[in-house]
Amino acid sequence: MAPSSNLVERTRPETVVFRLSAQLGNHALWDALLFFIPPVLAALCAAFLLLQGAWVSQVVASATAVIAVGLGALAVTLRYRPRIPKLPQAAQLVDQRAGAKDHFLTLATIDLANCPEPLLSRLRQDAEELVGRVELARDFPYKVKTPMYWSTGSSLVALLLLYFLLPVAGAMIHPVSISQRLRELAEKMAQAPRLKELAEPLKTLAAKLEDAKIHPEQKQVAVQELEQKIAERRKQEEEKNNRDLLSQAADELKGAEQQQSAGGQEQQKNQSQGGGNLQSNLPKEGQGEGKQSQGSGGADGEGKMSAQSSKDMEQGKSAQGNPKEPDQDKNQQHQGDAKVNQPDPNRPGKEPDKDRAEKGQGGSKEGSGKNQASEAPPQSAPPAERFYQAGEGKDGIKGARYVTVQLPEDVAAESKGESKATKEGIGNRGRSQVPVSNVPLPAHLPNAATEKQPMPLEYRGIIR
Amino acid sequence: MEPERFQETFKRLESEIQRVIVGHDEAIRKVLIAFFAGGHILLEGVPGLGKTLLVKSLSHALGISFKRIQFTPDLMPSDIVGTEVLTDNNGRREFQFKQGPIFAHVVLADEINRATPKTQSAVLEAMEEKQVTVFGESHILESPFMVLATQNPIELEGTYPLPEAQLDRFFFKLLVAPPAPDQLREILKRTTGADVSECAMVLPNDSGKLVNDMKLLLRQVMIAPPIEDYVVRLVHATQANGQNGGAANTSVKQFIRFGSSPRGAQAIILGAKGNALAEGRVHVSYEDVEKVISAALRHRIILNFQAEAENVSADQILVEVMKQVKRN
Repeated sequence: MAPSSNLVERTRPETVVFRLSAQLGNHALWDALLFFIPPVLAALCAAFLLLQGAWVSQVVASATAVIAVGLGALAVTLRYRPRIPKLPQAAQLVDQRAGAKDHFLTLATIDLANCPEPLLSRLRQDAEELVGRVELARDFPYKVKTPMYWSTGSSLVALLLLYFLLPVAGAMIHPVSISQRLRELAEKMAQAPRLKELAEPLKTLAAKLEDAKIHPEQKQVAVQELEQKIAERRKQEEEKNNRDLLSQAADELKGAEQQQSAGGQEQQKNQSQGGGNLQSNLPKEGQGEGKQSQGSGGADGEGKMSAQSSKDMEQGKSAQGNPKEPDQDKNQQHQGDAKVNQPDPNRPGKEPDKDRAEKGQGGSKEGSGKNQASEAPPQSAPPAERFYQAGEGKDGIKGARYVTVQLPEDVAAESKGESKATKEGIGNRGRSQVPVSNVPLPAHLPNAATEKQPMPLEYRGIIR
Repeated sequence: MEPERFQETFKRLESEIQRVIVGHDEAIRKVLIAFFAGGHILLEGVPGLGKTLLVKSLSHALGISFKRIQFTPDLMPSDIVGTEVLTDNNGRREFQFKQGPIFAHVVLADEINRATPKTQSAVLEAMEEKQVTVFGESHILESPFMVLATQNPIELEGTYPLPEAQLDRFFFKLLVAPPAPDQLREILKRTTGADVSECAMVLPNDSGKLVNDMKLLLRQVMIAPPIEDYVVRLVHATQANGQNGGAANTSVKQFIRFGSSPRGAQAIILGAKGNALAEGRVHVSYEDVEKVISAALRHRIILNFQAEAENVSADQILVEVMKQVKRN
């Protein structure tokens, strides 16, 4: 029996049951809607916030919104359908409210065609007397259930959290660039009459820092120069506000310097890991040889040997020690020491001191026993020829060509000019001369380095 | 017949019997319901509680014939159903069927468990088929026909407990409890004084048609499908080991050997209909069902030895079943 036909067929007492059933169905729908609308709205707002903050693209935000709405509709349907009250349940509610003894249940569910008319009319008559006690709006009002409050509250909390945490996360993930901060500082300085002269260099530096074409080392030099200027100015400055501005600028520049230093190291590391060319401050010819030394298979014999030595460096054969050739290694290390202890004609006067200091540092990093062994050359005869590896001879690697490896600091110092170098030289006066490479040097050519190459980053720790 | 007339007649009968029988109001109502539903009653109680008086009062109030059979071990089936006797009819000798005491509207089978199973089974056909067969010839019992059997629960020596098949044929099994002190005082007052009250006839002598109309009306009482479903679930719930999809609860599994037969469900619904009419309604409610369920099922569920050992009654189990089975 379809409910619609029943509505026409049945008279008043039964219609109360059908109306209540429909009303309870609406209540169930509202329950489901109120339960799921807050999370869906929260999801939509979240998508909007993410879109506004440029966290997601418009397509992703739209897709998220559509999915949220779809899932919400599905959830509402799944929650609503089992909760649609059945007719007997509604009838029993009416019976309870009216104090009837299943009058409405019988009227609403019985097959009227098989009922004797006198009995049916009697039942209707009884039900009509009772139906006055029921008022649907009064007796069955809609009440918002506790889960709805929970749903709304938790959605609101989630949304607020997202709203407040997004900028924080954004600042953490995409911080304001140093150059931007420098620009802001420059603007502030420009407003201060006594600092006006520093504003322009600061802006220029900010622009320089953003310029990807400029080498990090050059940027670093520029930063250091300005840092020095600011430091000098800060000493002279008496006004507190200006001092504060200068302090901020100094801090920012310090940060910029560190960033550039790290950036430079990263760049070098990437180059060495990626099999790229060794970046050299040598002329083009030297760079070509550097390429060969990476094992590019050049025909030049020197290049080959250099490649071999570089390979050895990478494998740690020479310096780290080959268990099969301990004496040879020691000899080679010793030879290396001997070489670097000699003054390098290609390097400024400060270098021996610096190298010595580096050696001291490196010695503490490497195993002490090994270092001691390498520092104390064996007095015995050179190892037998059978211990030599291919390409090695009595005097070390046959036909080897050696480079003096320069640390990035050295390169920077050189590019800064004489004054800086002099300063460093003074500062590093106490350093001992240390080997700048773990490439074995032949005994007869202790200072045979002909080229300068930046020290690969991964070896810096070893040398120091 | 109008429901109002049914209710009026029912109330008059009830009050008339209550005038003679002190207490046992529920038993009186259920006896009347069973009568109009066309069922038979098994009354169980110790001697002297007014079982026989109740039946006699019922038949008197109804204005219908009443016979009593005292069941003894030597009682023969022919003593109940009747036999062929040789008679002289105008010089012509022929066998003539002599009706036994079963040929009455209301038959009181007093202490039915004292008779042998052979004799007991003679009552079976009469109860179920409303006819008896003697020497191959069937004799229809006049409607209305009702057997009210009594049995004594304490004197079990030398008795023949009714088999399950015969128990199932009783519409209700009513337990006649001893009267409360107030009721006993009233009994004494009514029976030991000079003026002993007797039951008046409520229905006229030719009340057969009226009774049949009332019986028909009872069957027309409406019952909602959810309530029917409730009865079905109740009866299924008495099935031990979840027979026929019944979800037996722990006490059912533990103490019931066999659950109720479909006759149990029939008895519940007819009894509920009778109760509804008696209360002036033309439809059955859940309450009607719950009022008659014990009377309709207590003799239809067969308890096991454990239940007897632990003194668990069928009524206790039925209460558990009603708790388990929820209304729709």
